[in-house]
Amino acid sequence: MKKKAWFWTFPALCFLTIFFIAPLFFIFIESFQAEKTWGFDNYINVFSQPVFTTALLRTLKISTIVTFLAALLAYPAASAIVKSKRRNLLMSLIILPLMTNAVARTYAWLVIMGRHGLINSVLLSLGDTRNPVQILYTEPAVIIGLLQLFLPFMVLSLVSALENMPADVEEAAYSLGANKLQTFWRVVFPLSREGLVFGGTLVFTGSTTAYVTPAMLGGTKLLMLSTLLQQKSLVLLQWSSATVIAVIMVIMVIFINQVFKGRRLEETS
Amino acid sequence: MKKIISVVLLIIMLGILVLAQGETNAAVPSKPDKLVVSWWGFNLDLLDKNIAEPFEQKYGIKVEWDVGDNVARLARLVVRKDKPVVDVVGFTPTFAYRAIQEGVLQPYRPERIPNLAYIYDWAQDPLSGHYVVAYTVQCMGIYYRTDKIEPPVTSWKDFWRPELSGYLTWPEMNTTYGPALLLMSSKVWGESDRDLDVGWQKLSDIIERAPTLYRRSSEAIMLLQQEEVWLAPMPSFAWGSVEALGLPLARVFPEEGVIGEMSVVGVVNGTPNIYWAEEFINFLLSHEVQMAEALDLVDSPVNTFVDLPADIAAKLVYGEELIDSLVFFDPTYLGENIDEWVEKWDKLKL
Repeated sequence: MKKKAWFWTFPALCFLTIFFIAPLFFIFIESFQAEKTWGFDNYINVFSQPVFTTALLRTLKISTIVTFLAALLAYPAASAIVKSKRRNLLMSLIILPLMTNAVARTYAWLVIMGRHGLINSVLLSLGDTRNPVQILYTEPAVIIGLLQLFLPFMVLSLVSALENMPADVEEAAYSLGANKLQTFWRVVFPLSREGLVFGGTLVFTGSTTAYVTPAMLGGTKLLMLSTLLQQKSLVLLQWSSATVIAVIMVIMVIFINQVFKGRRLEETS
Repeated sequence: MKKIISVVLLIIMLGILVLAQGETNAAVPSKPDKLVVSWWGFNLDLLDKNIAEPFEQKYGIKVEWDVGDNVARLARLVVRKDKPVVDVVGFTPTFAYRAIQEGVLQPYRPERIPNLAYIYDWAQDPLSGHYVVAYTVQCMGIYYRTDKIEPPVTSWKDFWRPELSGYLTWPEMNTTYGPALLLMSSKVWGESDRDLDVGWQKLSDIIERAPTLYRRSSEAIMLLQQEEVWLAPMPSFAWGSVEALGLPLARVFPEEGVIGEMSVVGVVNGTPNIYWAEEFINFLLSHEVQMAEALDLVDSPVNTFVDLPADIAAKLVYGEELIDSLVFFDPTYLGENIDEWVEKWDKLKL
């Protein structure tokens, strides 16, 4: 049986090894090579650049905010979907954005968030502001764009978790005198934490590594790790710095995965 | 006897003729199926119409464009340095300088480009060493919204007007005009174009006051179109697109001078098609191509024999008065310092 499993997974493993693991390995090796000598010079050089630390902190900050907001929005949505009779329709609507090209979706935000876009039109008509507000090319714009991009993943993950929850636990909590907030915090949330952790992993790592959305909605003044990597590799041709940033991004993703995986194991044990 | 000698002489003469023909054929290498030209993607349809299709018609060689901005194309050339897939490349002088330093360009043979004799002197060998030729001249003017900005914009200094904060944009340092604008800022606010401390201070203000900066002229055009900005420096090759927006925009040649720039073309080092690459460059400088590109408002001519109608000339970098007023900054100085300036620029954005 084990041999059969190896046989069927072998082609996929070969593909992953050649086109994923091998390139990553070469990048990792090259990150320790500076002008034909080996060492940590490239890492010291990158970490000593203020632009890198700023991009790193900004990336972590924005990814954390997006993950938190995704959880906040996804919970009520997932709960409604699970309880709805039109579950399939609602799931389709959630998945639909995933079928649209990310660039096209981000371009739509350029129109919505522009000075004469939908948001400013509403604000001006309500009298909340006398002049259009600068929304594009700010951190909130990037957060909104990333949230729209990755929210479906959180919703799907929580839907799966809530579906596996016993159907009558909420009713039981209400019957014991808990209100809605208490029921959520003390019953629903603990039981769905595994889904939250899984969804959080997807959203956080996706936000950390996204390029198109930060580049288009953040502009060139708000550097994140992905846009800094693009600049180092394709603008300045500083390959040694670019390999270091690439390695750091991979390590970050692996670390987050391990942290969240640890939490998932704790939940299930 | 006389007959025999005549026949022998005839045979010898025929033999010499055949050998000479062979030698002539050997001087012109065989035609490749295609010539790969690394170029900007702006106005690609017009480049096909004015350059690629006529070249193919004349020489039977298809032109394949490898498009992208300077940085991406230079990166690709460097990566494939040992086995280039590109034959001819177009760059700004700053990037051409970097390309020469990276060893991805090789000198052309001036005798293979007779049309050099018909172009401006400063266009013939802008970086020395016969590495590149300027095939077009550009400049950077300013566009601004006449309905939003009063009094009118007349100077580079207008970018620092307090009321325009949040409504202007500026090119990134790693673009065609980024380094030149540093020197122009130094020149207009300081003692000279090398008064860089002053220039950097002023650029720091610009970064603070611009909602975003742009890497490509198409991004700047989009910012104007979406009315995110009302004021932008704009290179001449994008003027046609700006005016097609249909917005109340006016073009300004600032009183301190118009930044002059060229686009240059060179032969990629290691290409097996050197002969045809040089032929392409010569074709690019021909009256036919220079005229066609000018009439379609793609590129301003460097061929001094191109005679344009007044309405077209007004939209291009053309005419003795404008050409003489162009401020060209030393591309070697720009190329030597670009890396350091980009790092410094990034620090200002923090």
